[in-house]
Amino acid sequence: MTAGMYVHVPFCLTRCGYCDFNAYAGLGHLAGRYVDALRHEAELWAPSWTGERFVSIFVGGGTPTTLDASALSGLLDAIRSRFEVAPDAEVTVEANPDTVDEAKHTALLASGVTRLSMGAQSFDPTVLVSLERVHSPESVRRAYSAARAAGFSNVNLDLIYGANGETLESWRRTLEETISLGPEHISAYALTIEPTAPLGRKVAAGLAPPPDPDLQADMFELACELLGAAGYAHYEVSNWARAGFECLHNLGYWQRRPYLGLGAGAHSFRGERRWWNVRPPDRYLAEVEAGRLPVGGEERLTPDQERFEQVFLRLRTFRGVPTTRDAAELVEAGLLVRSNGHLVPTERGMLVLNELVLALTA
Amino acid sequence: MAHVTDQGRIRNFCIVAHIDHGKSTLADRMLELTHAVPDREMRDQYLDSMDLERERGITIKAQAVRLAHESHGTRYVLNLIDTPGHVDFTYEVSRSLAACEGAILLVDAAQGIEAQTLANFHLARDAGLVIVPTVNKIDLPQADPDEAARELAELIGSDVDNVLRVSAKSGEGVPGLLDAVIARVPPPDGSRDMPLRALIFDSMFDPYRGVVAYVRVEEGSLPSRAKVRLMAVGLDVEAEEAGVLAPHPTPVAELAAGEVGYLMTGVKDVRQAQVGDTITLAGKKRAHEPLPGYREPKPMVWSGMFPAEGGDYGDLRDALDKLKLSDAALHYEPETSRALGFGFRCGFLGLLHMDIVKERLEREFDLELIATAPNVEFHVIRGGAVTVVHNPSEMPVPGTYDRIEEPVVLATIITPKEYLGPVMDLCQSRRGELVDMRYLSPERAEIHYLLPLAEIIFDYFDQLKSRSRGYASLDYEHWGYVEAALVRVDVLLHGEPVDAFSSVVHREKAYQYGRQMVERLRELIPRQLFDVAIQAAIGSRIVARETVKAKRKDVLAKCYGGDVTRKRKLLEQQRKGKARMRRVGKVDVPQEAFIQALRVDRRAESKR
Repeated sequence: MTAGMYVHVPFCLTRCGYCDFNAYAGLGHLAGRYVDALRHEAELWAPSWTGERFVSIFVGGGTPTTLDASALSGLLDAIRSRFEVAPDAEVTVEANPDTVDEAKHTALLASGVTRLSMGAQSFDPTVLVSLERVHSPESVRRAYSAARAAGFSNVNLDLIYGANGETLESWRRTLEETISLGPEHISAYALTIEPTAPLGRKVAAGLAPPPDPDLQADMFELACELLGAAGYAHYEVSNWARAGFECLHNLGYWQRRPYLGLGAGAHSFRGERRWWNVRPPDRYLAEVEAGRLPVGGEERLTPDQERFEQVFLRLRTFRGVPTTRDAAELVEAGLLVRSNGHLVPTERGMLVLNELVLALTA
Repeated sequence: MAHVTDQGRIRNFCIVAHIDHGKSTLADRMLELTHAVPDREMRDQYLDSMDLERERGITIKAQAVRLAHESHGTRYVLNLIDTPGHVDFTYEVSRSLAACEGAILLVDAAQGIEAQTLANFHLARDAGLVIVPTVNKIDLPQADPDEAARELAELIGSDVDNVLRVSAKSGEGVPGLLDAVIARVPPPDGSRDMPLRALIFDSMFDPYRGVVAYVRVEEGSLPSRAKVRLMAVGLDVEAEEAGVLAPHPTPVAELAAGEVGYLMTGVKDVRQAQVGDTITLAGKKRAHEPLPGYREPKPMVWSGMFPAEGGDYGDLRDALDKLKLSDAALHYEPETSRALGFGFRCGFLGLLHMDIVKERLEREFDLELIATAPNVEFHVIRGGAVTVVHNPSEMPVPGTYDRIEEPVVLATIITPKEYLGPVMDLCQSRRGELVDMRYLSPERAEIHYLLPLAEIIFDYFDQLKSRSRGYASLDYEHWGYVEAALVRVDVLLHGEPVDAFSSVVHREKAYQYGRQMVERLRELIPRQLFDVAIQAAIGSRIVARETVKAKRKDVLAKCYGGDVTRKRKLLEQQRKGKARMRRVGKVDVPQEAFIQALRVDRRAESKR
């Protein structure tokens, strides 16, 4: 079986208001212990994951590039020595523009990283401020050029649309600038208000406006239009790529391939079981350093849940779900199309995917 | 067991008053003064014993208490008969009054005469009662007992010196009031040798003892254990026990003419021992004519009641079946709504009665209900035939009938003269017809209006209060049916009529009503995958339209490995939310939308 591996690095230089990930600013002093713990955790899992061939590794966060290139390199070596990792595996590292330079890019490439995913978010400085991002558009351009100069041939730029104050015109400029840089892959996410993030609390308290869903819909449609015209294939709700550059690792999630997550709060999935590590880094360290698997919880999926996941995950992509029921009304409404015995959401359908999922699983 | 009391030493009386003029407090003082209740048992508003009544601060069930009082060396039996205090229960009030020879007409010294003071006075006078005018709250700083006494004296056509003055709160003047009741109210005079005729002036259902009837024996004698006949229903039953309320139930050997007490009838349904019915003995010694004045309870206001969860229909039916055992005035029949499914069309004496029933269903039977907007009963006249319609969705289309008639009430409003203008404007805007007006004093006016009942069951009372800064008071009585230009306004969702939203309104207000409904619904109906047209229509003519624009975005932006579990749960929640919605044609409508759109201002018709 092929599998993916996710490695979580929970450190950030600063926290952004919209983010509810398991990430922390000011814990940089734990980095050394944490990387050791990741290696140790890899050893603990290795015996039970023999027979799985890892075709992707995704180092995410947080901001993995807060770690030294040598630490990341050592970590990847340790993983390769404990698990069967395909020689041509896709190895992605997420980067923050302010934490990378050409030297670091070169070192990452040397350690086997094949894909760089950079959090650009916007090229409009006011939007970046609104998102509480500390980098500037200029540093994105600089980091991007550095990655190209170092030799990265597979770069993703992450974008967020619908922040307070962002207009359709501003979003258009962000998209155009992104396209002009020419990354192989673009992720464009509608800003989502997470109740537990600082922004979520602000919105709940009426201190910040929630995103306007109609404006976000317009922005989605604009992204579809501009990215499509620039030759990017829209292969998942929020992801576009040049042919052959779809993110293999993320496709694994939507196709329900097994994955092993290492690090604080990382989730893993195999068979009908999904489990997750303890979230706080200190607890994670304590568990692993005591030689225990740091599992904090698990669920076993019922057949119903499994079927439901099949639909709601697969329907996110342009591969869609096998046609198992009559969906004539949704097809007629232009929300789904039939393709090779599959039901595939149209771009308009993607915008109301939750409704489609519920309709197809009713 | 108590002995039969000599008629000359019995006084049967009630206290009638406007709301908050101190009736319950005065009753409390009388209980204390006559040592009817041990001190340790005494509590405020002692006689309002049902939970529901106490919470609402009103009395819906009349009760009678027997008080022993010595006056000028003679011991008297005073039967204090409590009367319901709401226009919904006017008929019950009239039966309670029929059980008395006198009434204390109580007026707040700070407020003076109010609308219900008048209404009660007229009812008591029509019942032939001796009125004992009494001013209460004389110790309030803002009291003007002289003015209140003057108004009272003028109202009943008596000398101002005859008006008693008390403080029910402190007890001041209450002994004198009891003496006045004894002196002024005549004793009962029915012959004890005639065949038994006893008036049921109230009844209640006890789950263990069955129906308890509160009776006033007019003639003859009611033995404790006897086979009696309930004349209206023609039912013979073995009565289990007669007694008096002192105030706890105390059995007696018999209740003789002039006495007041209770009878445990043994029947299990209040419909078999209804208020206003006459009890006589079964067999040869029976009376042949019932006492006058019996009337079947007649619903005035109708509403559809539907379980919020469709599956609770059986539970709702069982609950209504149980409730009717203790509520003779409740009507219900099965109703099927395309929008709300299976439920019941229920008839009530008025809005308060409707609220009480709904609250009891929800609280005592743990049901969640959707009630459609209340409506009155219409008469549709075609040729010589009258069809009674109490469901708007059954109202025939124009052109198929000669005319429609609606119930009209005669409203009495008392207001300080500075609010006369706004109050009259309100009545005009509610299709009111001024009958007459007079000044009670240079500052206060009494006006009478004929008003369609349909116009006052919504927010009329609220409006009256707000336009008069709370000073105007209202009472009304049913007057009759009058022709009116009424039309049915339907509400359509995505082209489908929603029967639960249909309403019968006056032609001139149809547009306004339709506008209001579509605007309300636009706020309440969530966006769907398509544009939802919300229309109000009279017949095939659309009078108002709003659109809920199609939902454009409903998608989880991100779903990676660590998100799957949480996002799955979010979607499951969303599915549950959808499942709780009602489907009308293609449109999903939340339960809440029905409840909110059909909401009537609950203060619309207030207690009095």
